[in-house]
Amino acid sequence: MRERHIISLEVEDKPGVLSRISTLFSRRGFNVDSLTVGHTHIPGISRFTIVVRGDGEVLEQIRKQSQKLIQVLTATDLDPAQSVMREFAIVKLAHSTKDEKGNEEAKAINEIVDFYGGRMLDSGHGQLIVEFSGSEKKIEKVFEQLQSYKVLESIRTGKLGMKIG
Amino acid sequence: MDLGAQQELTGAEALVKILEEKGVEVLFGYPGGANLPIFDALIGSKVQPVLSRHEQGSIHMAEGYARVKHAPGVVLATSGPGATNLVTGLADALLDSIPIVALTGQIPRENIGTDAFQEVDCFNITMPVTKHNELIRNNSELVLALETAFYVANTGRKGPCLIDFPVDLLAAKFPFDFDERPNLPGYKPTTKGNIGQIKKAIKAIKNAERPIVLIGGGIVLSRAIPELLEFVRKSQLPVVRTLLGTGVIPVDDPLYIGMIGTHGNQLANDIVQKEADLIVAIGTKLGNRSTVAKGMFAQNAKLIHLDIDPAEIGKIQKVDIPIVGDVKETLQIINERIDEKPIREDVVAWKKGKKIEHMLPTSDNAEVLEVVLKALSQMDQKLHVTTDVGRHQMWANHYCTNPKHLPLITSAGLGTMGFGLPAAIGAWFADRGTTVVNVSGDGSFMMNMQEFLVAVEHQIPIVVMIINDQRLSMIRELQNMKYGERHTVHDLGKSMDYIKFAESMGGTGYEVHHQEMIFPIINKAIASRKPCIIDFDIAKIANSAHLKALGS
Repeated sequence: MRERHIISLEVEDKPGVLSRISTLFSRRGFNVDSLTVGHTHIPGISRFTIVVRGDGEVLEQIRKQSQKLIQVLTATDLDPAQSVMREFAIVKLAHSTKDEKGNEEAKAINEIVDFYGGRMLDSGHGQLIVEFSGSEKKIEKVFEQLQSYKVLESIRTGKLGMKIG
Repeated sequence: MDLGAQQELTGAEALVKILEEKGVEVLFGYPGGANLPIFDALIGSKVQPVLSRHEQGSIHMAEGYARVKHAPGVVLATSGPGATNLVTGLADALLDSIPIVALTGQIPRENIGTDAFQEVDCFNITMPVTKHNELIRNNSELVLALETAFYVANTGRKGPCLIDFPVDLLAAKFPFDFDERPNLPGYKPTTKGNIGQIKKAIKAIKNAERPIVLIGGGIVLSRAIPELLEFVRKSQLPVVRTLLGTGVIPVDDPLYIGMIGTHGNQLANDIVQKEADLIVAIGTKLGNRSTVAKGMFAQNAKLIHLDIDPAEIGKIQKVDIPIVGDVKETLQIINERIDEKPIREDVVAWKKGKKIEHMLPTSDNAEVLEVVLKALSQMDQKLHVTTDVGRHQMWANHYCTNPKHLPLITSAGLGTMGFGLPAAIGAWFADRGTTVVNVSGDGSFMMNMQEFLVAVEHQIPIVVMIINDQRLSMIRELQNMKYGERHTVHDLGKSMDYIKFAESMGGTGYEVHHQEMIFPIINKAIASRKPCIIDFDIAKIANSAHLKALGS
């Protein structure tokens, strides 16, 4: 079974570490759905959250091969039931401004933003930029809802994950 | 005058000082604009630079050196093509776990990223073929980077490390602190096997009916041959090996069965595939050439796997009892705890009834190889024997059996043609009292034959035995088996005159074209203690043997 797994890597923030990890994943044929990286509260330590596909054996290899990299401090498999996961998205939409219907459109988008706890980041010139964050499922739902409007651009982060407890 | 830990030196001087402190005796390399400060700083130092004729030669020399010396081999190349010429050797060292410290010059920092002359992204190119690599961006990183490279290369699962030095940094003065030591929180190799797992393993061995030991190159790398032999003597387990498990247990040992894998022995393969009910695999990655195909290996056996690299455990084969640890340290613990068993007369008796058949490419006068290699094995003195890659390698692996010539130095994982000659030269630099022999083929020899000049320059007692069949026999064999005997691109022709080649470089060349010449010429070449090439004309020898047989 090629299930999805979430790997969390704690790494030393040294030059080339992103390259090292992406080289490893591509060379070993590990399928990456998404990869998110950023600093942690500890100076010099960054954290990767990588969503991969593969069975248990593949996952074990990913963990062990990542752990072999000298800059990788810990490699853990995040159990979705025991972790919190978040994604973030920004979407730019066009709405018509010339007639009544245009305002309706903007209003409707605003309702979606409110309903899903998003935020309006910019508006004007017949365009809106909105942000959403939440579970993958929620972000999927938002994108589904926005499909009936004219989406000009969109971007999503990968997952950020953290173990509970 | 001792300036204490902190010294104002150029980057190149600091580098050489560290090499000296590490006890590096020789550095195999090739100069270029970006690494000249290092060669300059080597003048008058304790480290001897050895000039190869191609950077690939340099790194295979460093590999041969490392295998004999059990210490990192050091290689130095310049930027751009110098660095890319190291890639094959780095990959070879990574797959066979050879400790190498590779140093490369890089273009000046201000030009990096501009596609300047002789610029390549050495750091990223060599990333997947090194255990660890770094590009130095500031002189303050130099000491730590070198200390890390030497430490990482030669601990845990050994392997190649590379440091890329921009040339401006090598020339600039800096107050170096030589007391700095790396802190590597992400690198903590487990050396001592878990005691609970060891107990489980011992119990499984005790309870098994047909247990065997499978040994790999890890035994040689961890210098655990005495511990392995003690383990085998005590447990009385029959032994099979991989290609790199050569020279660990004598072939005439009553408990030795043979080699497994595609070019192993039928009997050894039958045992690991079907007959054994427990396999104790030690110091092997259970690579696909050994385990042959998914589902073939250990069909009826439980598997105990002891290896220094946790990622090798469970990678190819499902393991019942994994033990992560250094082979030597862990075997010492096992040996203290395992019961001594009486001599297994049954193994000897059982072996007598079986034919130990080597699975070798046999077409086109291959039987001559057996005669040549058996003659080499009759040489009574200590030798370091390297091979190249191809048909001769597989035969050498079975017929080079003299314990004084083993372990065989061969490129197993990467199968690098052209490895043997420079590796033999490197082996000599690690042990200058001993004659070195390179068993090669005409195809492999031509890949790095320029390095023969290095052997002549240093008057190295080396004998290059070219198994000359004027073709790429393994390719021909593959075309016979898988391509309906459609032969192409395997013919190397007869135009190369190896005698003249040897002489043109200042060495000695011999031609062997009759069966009766084999032993005397090998003997003469080895006794000469001079750089020699012997051209074994396989077709002619086969013909002479045939005529002789007809005559008698």
